[in-house]
Amino acid sequence: MSIEPGDIQRIVTPAVPVTREKMRADIARMLHEDPSEIGDEDSLMDLGLDSMRAMNLVLAWSEGGLELEFAEFAENPTLAGWWALVEARQNTRNG
Amino acid sequence: MSGPVHPLTEAQSGLWYAQRLAPGNPLFNTGQYIELTGPLDLPAFEAALAQGVAEAASLSLRMEETPAGPVQRVLHEARPHLHIIDVSAAPDPLAAAQADIARDMAIPVDPTRDPLAGERLFILGPRRFVWQQRIHHLAIDGYGMILLTQRVAELYNARLRGTPQGNPLPGLGVVLAEDAAYRGSPKREQDAAFWGALFADRPDVASLAPGAPVSAAQFHRRAVEIDAATFARLRALAERIAIPWPDVLTALAGAYVRRHTGTPEVILGVPFMARLGSAAARVPAMLMNVLPLRLAPDEDAPLDEMLAQAAKAFTRARRHGRYRSEQLRRDLKLIGGQRRLHGPLVNILPFDETPRFSGLETRLEVLSTGPVEDITFTFRLHGTEGLRLEVDANPDLYTIGEVEAHTARLSTFVATCLTARRLADVPTATMAEARRYLFEVNDTTRPVPDVTLSALIEAGLARTPDATAVRFNGGTIDCATLEARSRALAGQMVRAGVGRGSIVAIALPRSLELIVALLAVLRAGAAYLPLDLSHPDERLARILSSAEPVLALALPQERPRFGRVPVLAPDDWESRPGEATLPIAQPDDAAYVIYTSGSTGEPKGVVVEHRAIVNRLEWMRVHYGFDASDRILQKTPMTFDVSVWEFFLPFISGASLVVAPPEAHRDPRAIATLIREEGVTTAHFVPSMLAAFLAEPAAKGVRLARVFCSGEELPAELRDRFHRTVVAELHNLYGPTEAAVDVSYWPASAEDASHPVPIGFPVWNTRLYVLDDANRPQPPGVAGHLYLAGVQLARGYLGRPDLTAERFVPDPFVPGERMYKTGDLASWRSEGAVVYLGRSDHQIKIRGLRVELGEIEAAVMSAGLVRQAAIIAREDQPGAQRIVAYVVADGAPDIERLRAHVAARVPDYMVPSAFVALEALPVTSNGKLDRSALPAPDFAGTGGRHPATATERRLAELFAEQLGVSDEMSAEDDFFSLGGDSLQAVALLLRVRELFGHDPGLGALFSHPSIAALAALIDAGEGVVEAGLDPLITLIEGAPDLPPLFAIHPAGGISWCYGRLARALQPRRTVHGLQAPALAPDVPLASSLDALAADYAARIRQVFPQGPYHLVGWSVGGILAQAVAVKLAEGGARLGVVAMLDAYPTDCWRDEPEPQEGDALKALLAIAGHDPDRLPALALNRQSVIAFLRATDSPLGTLPDAALDGVVRVVAGNSALVRGHFHTRYAGTITYFRAALDHEGTGLTPQLWAPYVGALDITDVPSLHAFLTGPEATAVIAPVLARAMERTDNKDETPCATMASPAASLSSPAPAEA
Repeated sequence: MSIEPGDIQRIVTPAVPVTREKMRADIARMLHEDPSEIGDEDSLMDLGLDSMRAMNLVLAWSEGGLELEFAEFAENPTLAGWWALVEARQNTRNG
Repeated sequence: MSGPVHPLTEAQSGLWYAQRLAPGNPLFNTGQYIELTGPLDLPAFEAALAQGVAEAASLSLRMEETPAGPVQRVLHEARPHLHIIDVSAAPDPLAAAQADIARDMAIPVDPTRDPLAGERLFILGPRRFVWQQRIHHLAIDGYGMILLTQRVAELYNARLRGTPQGNPLPGLGVVLAEDAAYRGSPKREQDAAFWGALFADRPDVASLAPGAPVSAAQFHRRAVEIDAATFARLRALAERIAIPWPDVLTALAGAYVRRHTGTPEVILGVPFMARLGSAAARVPAMLMNVLPLRLAPDEDAPLDEMLAQAAKAFTRARRHGRYRSEQLRRDLKLIGGQRRLHGPLVNILPFDETPRFSGLETRLEVLSTGPVEDITFTFRLHGTEGLRLEVDANPDLYTIGEVEAHTARLSTFVATCLTARRLADVPTATMAEARRYLFEVNDTTRPVPDVTLSALIEAGLARTPDATAVRFNGGTIDCATLEARSRALAGQMVRAGVGRGSIVAIALPRSLELIVALLAVLRAGAAYLPLDLSHPDERLARILSSAEPVLALALPQERPRFGRVPVLAPDDWESRPGEATLPIAQPDDAAYVIYTSGSTGEPKGVVVEHRAIVNRLEWMRVHYGFDASDRILQKTPMTFDVSVWEFFLPFISGASLVVAPPEAHRDPRAIATLIREEGVTTAHFVPSMLAAFLAEPAAKGVRLARVFCSGEELPAELRDRFHRTVVAELHNLYGPTEAAVDVSYWPASAEDASHPVPIGFPVWNTRLYVLDDANRPQPPGVAGHLYLAGVQLARGYLGRPDLTAERFVPDPFVPGERMYKTGDLASWRSEGAVVYLGRSDHQIKIRGLRVELGEIEAAVMSAGLVRQAAIIAREDQPGAQRIVAYVVADGAPDIERLRAHVAARVPDYMVPSAFVALEALPVTSNGKLDRSALPAPDFAGTGGRHPATATERRLAELFAEQLGVSDEMSAEDDFFSLGGDSLQAVALLLRVRELFGHDPGLGALFSHPSIAALAALIDAGEGVVEAGLDPLITLIEGAPDLPPLFAIHPAGGISWCYGRLARALQPRRTVHGLQAPALAPDVPLASSLDALAADYAARIRQVFPQGPYHLVGWSVGGILAQAVAVKLAEGGARLGVVAMLDAYPTDCWRDEPEPQEGDALKALLAIAGHDPDRLPALALNRQSVIAFLRATDSPLGTLPDAALDGVVRVVAGNSALVRGHFHTRYAGTITYFRAALDHEGTGLTPQLWAPYVGALDITDVPSLHAFLTGPEATAVIAPVLARAMERTDNKDETPCATMASPAASLSSPAPAEA
C-alpha cells in the first residue's frame, strides 16, 4: 500500500487514543458544563451543542490521525452514538 | 424513466423563486474543480464517478412548473455523465481547461429544461488532469459538494486498493421527509417565534456599500492567505476560552463590518449547514440556510468577554437555524426592493475540503458557491494548517479596488485583534492605508514667501500704480490713490495709538472707504475686527469687551454703539500721507479677528495671523491663475471670512476689485446685473444663495471665468443646475474660520458626476485628517472626524485659552504641530479627495433613515414655485424630529402644489411635514441661513398630530382595522404608505360608507390617502361620490407638470390592478385608470372595440387636453391602448409612450371557443387575486364564486350586486369585442412588456404585432401573465416605463411620428396563423 503525502504527518505523530471519557470531557468543555452533566444517550443538541462546536470537536478528535466524517457524527448526535463511530474507526486502524 | 413527483423543499423554494426572477443569472451554478496530478486510473475514476453520481440523486432532478406550484422529480435522462476533454495539445493546457470551465460556469441553467449538473474531466497531460463539477444550487450546497466529492474519492480508492466501498450516500427520501415533518412541526413554530422576537424591533441593516443587493451575473474575488502565526494564535485563543475558532473569526469579522458602518450593531448573514442532528446529514442536497446574526460588539470589553458574548448569541441562533431566512423575510415583510435582512455574509469553512485520491496529489479550486448579492467574507481551511480569506463581492456595488482593500484590511484587522486586549485598541486602517491617508494625500509642502499680508498688498499696489484698483457704484480709484489714502489713514491711526498687536474695529458699509480702512489697519501693523451693526447691542457689547479694540472706523452716527471705544469717521480721515514711518508687522502677528457664533451662542473671536492668510491667498492666486485681466466681485459681508480673499486677492494678483453696493448680496437680480455690467470674472456664492441666484431669470447665460462655493454643502444637483444656467468654472471650497478661510478645494466641473460633491484636496502646506474616536486614521470610504493641520490654522480664540485648547489639540502625527477639530464628519475617496458627511453632532435620521436635506431642497426648488428654500430638521418636541421647508416666493406660494411636486420626487419620509412661507429667509450677518431665527411651524394640520376630530378618530380605527396595525396613528398617516393595497382600499371605503353613510370614492382615497385629508373629504359631505367603478378614476395624483399616464383596464373592466404600478413610478406622476362604462348596470355594452376606444380617447382628451398622452394596458387593455392611440393620433394629438403588458393581437383569439359565464367568473377570481385553476373544487357559478369571495374576505365579495353583475357582463362583452376587432396600424413604437415565463409552445410572441405597429421595444419580465401587476413584475416594469415616459416628456414638440398611416388603415389585417 502506498503512503499518501498527507498521511506522513499522521504516521509520524503518535496518535493519542480517544476514549469515551475524553470525548465526554471535551464535549463538556465546549458546553461550559461539568462532564457529569453529559449522559451517554442525551441529545447533544438539547444540551446546547451547535454545529460549529460539533464540527470543532470532530476535527479535534481526528487530529490524532482518525478518519472521522462530520456528516456521520451529525446523523446521531449523542455521546453513545459518537463513541460507537470513534471506536469502530480506532478498531479498523488498529486491526 | 423517472421517479415520483415531489414538492420543492423549503430550502429549494427560496432559490427557485430567485432563479425564476433572474433566469439569465448563471451564479446559481455552484462549481469547483480539482487538479489531479499523478497516474490517474481513468476507468476506475469513470466508474467511481458514475456510481457517486448515481447515489447522489439530487443531481438528476428536473423541476417542473405546475398550477399547484413548482415540483421536482428524479429523471434518469438528467443524470450527468462524465465528459472527457483532451486539452493536452494546447500550449497551456491548464489555461485552456480553465477557460473552458469559465465558459461553462457562465451558462445559465433552466431547471425546468436543462440537467442541473455537469461532470467533466480535462486531460492536461499523461499525469495531469482537471475534474470539474458544476451543480445548480437547487440540487446541492457547499457541504453537499464535499460529501459527493469525498464519496467519489472513496469509491476510486476502494477500486484501486480493492478495499470495501463504504456506506453509499443516503437517498433524497430522508431530505423530503424531514422537510415535510418540519413544515408542520411545533419546532418550526418555536423557531418562528424566536426569530420574530429577535427582530421585533425591526432593526436597520447596514452594509459596506449602499445600493440594492441584487446579484449580478458575475462577482469580484480577491483572496489572501492568513499567515500561520495568526492562525495558530486564533486556535490557541479559541482553545483557551473554549469557543470554536470559527465563532471567534465570525465575531471579529462582525466587529470589522461595524467599524465601517459606524452603527451600534451589525447584522451578519452566516451560512448554516443545517445538518447536525438530521437524518439527511449525509445527503448531497440543498439544505443550507443563512442566519441573520445580530452583533453589537463592546469595543471596550476585554476581548475574551466580547467573544464569549458573541459566541453565546451564535449558539442561540443556531438552535433555531432550520427556520428559513426566506420565510423570516416574509414574516418581517422584507420582500422585494432594497430591504435587507442582513448585511455582509461571513462564511467559515473549518474543514479541509480537498479529497484524497490514492496515489494522486490534489488541489481544489472552489469557483462559485451561489449568487453574491452584496459581499461575502469566506475563511476556508485548506491542507491541514492553511487558512485562506476569500472576499467575493457584487461588482454593481464594489469596485475591484475596494474588494482588494477589504481583503488586506480584514486579514490585518483579524491578526491585530488576536494580539489585542480589546477591540478598541485595534485600528481599522492597515499600515499602508494609514501612511497614505495621513501623509501621501497630505503631501502639500510648497514654499510660500514668509511675509505679511500688508507687505504683499503694498508690493502689488506699487507694481501698477495707474491700474484701476477698486470699482464701486460707477466710481473707481487707481492703485496709487488707494496706496496713498490707506497710508495716510494708517499714519493717522498710528498717531492715535494703533500699532502691532492692537485691534481696530471696522463697521462700515460696503464702500471705497471700507477698502481704504481695511488696508490702513493692516498697514498700521494692527489686526482688523469686522463688525456687523445690524446685530443686537448686547452681542456688539460682548464682542467689544472681549476684543478691546483701541479704535473703531465707523460712520459718525454709529458712535453711541461703540461705548468707550473712540470712533474715527471717514469724514475725519486724512487723505495725504504724512512723513511718519509705519510699524512693520511680522508674519506671526494677527491680521484679522473674526467672531463666529459658537454652538453655545457665545461669540468666539478667531485670531488669524498673516502667515496663515498669506498661504491661503498665494495658493489661490497661483492655483487658479489670477492676473490683471480678472475682476473679483466683493459681495460677501466682511464678518464672514470668505470676504477676506475677495478684499485682498485683487491687490496681490493685479486684478481689480468690484465692490457690490450694500445689500446687493441678497438680491440675485442686482448681482446678475453687476456681473454683466462690470465684467466680473470671479464671484463667490454660498450654495443657498447660488440656488436663489440660479432661479433668477436674469442669471440665465451669465458668463464668468470662475465661481467659488463654500460655507455650506454644495448639493450635486445644484452643481448640475449651475452648469445648465451659467457659463463658468465652479469650484467647491471648504474651511472653517479657524483655518484661514479654506483648506480644501474641488473642481465641480460640468463633467464632475460625484455624488455627493467632495470638499476635495488639501491646499498648500495643509493637512486633512479623517480620524476615528481614538484619533486613528480611517481607511477610505469610512466616516470619521475631520481634523485640519498646517500653516493656515488660526492662533486660537481671543481671550479663551480654554476653548483654544479644546479645539486646537496636538497633532499626533507631526510632533510639535497642532490640529484643529472641525466637528464635521468626513471620509476619504481613494484618489485623495475628502467627502463631507455632515456635522458630527447632528446626523439627521427620520424613522431611522438618513435624510438628505439637500435633496429635499433640490426638489422644492425644481418646482419653480418659490425663489428660495431652506429645509431643516426640527425637534420642537423631544424625540420627534420633523422636516420643515421654509420657502420664499413672490406672493403667496401654492403650498399644496408644492407639496405634491416634492412628494413626487423624494421618498415619503423626506417629504417635509410642514411648508412655511416667509417673506425672506433669516440670515446671519455672514449671509448664512440663521437657523435659530426660523419660526417653529404650527403643526396643526401639517404633521404628526393625533387624530383630532371625531371623523379622524373613527377613520384611524378603520385604517387600523383594515391594515391590522396596532400602533397609534397620526392624522398624517397615509393608507398606502402603511401598506394598504387597492383591494383593502375598496374594503376601507365600504366600511366608511357603513359608518358615515357615504364615501368619497376610491379615486379620492388614492389622491387623499391620509386620515386628515380623507376625513376632510368625508366631512365635506356627499358631493361627488366615486364608487371606484367610474369610467375614469384617478389612481394616484402626481407632479402637476408631468403628463399623466392613462391605464386601460384588462378583461374585467376594472383598472384598480394598476394601483401598484402607479405608486411605483418615479418621479411620481398622475395615473388615471380607464374602466368599462358598462360596469354601471344602466350603460349598454359598447358596440365595437373601436367605439369603445373612441369613447376612451374622448375621455382622455377631456381631462388632459394638451397632451402628450401616455397609455398602458394589460392583456385586453393593451389591445385597447393600441386602438386608443390610433384614435388619438387620427385626431392629431401627440402620443407619448404606448405600452402593452403582454397583449396579443385579436387574430390570436378570434378562433378560440366563445367564453362561457364560467370564464367571466374565473376572470373575477383572478381580479380578486386568486388563481382560478388552483380552485378546482369551486363550482363556477355566481353564487358559489361570490360566497367564496366573501368567505375569503375579499373586498370584491362585498361589492354591490349590481357592480358584480357589471363585472361579469363586461368580461363576457369584452371577449366578443376582441373577436370582432380588426386592428388599424399605429405608426409609433409600442413599449412592450412580455411575460417571459409564459406562453411556451403557444406561438404567442410580441412580433405578432409587427403588421400593426411602427416598432416594438420589448422588455422581458420574469413573470407569468397573470402576475404582471404583482410586486415582482412591477419592480421590473415601473422603472422601464418611467424612463420611457421621461424621455418623451423631455423631447421638444417635434412633429409627431405617430400619425396612423391612412394606407395601412385601409388594408385589412393579415389573417391569423392557425
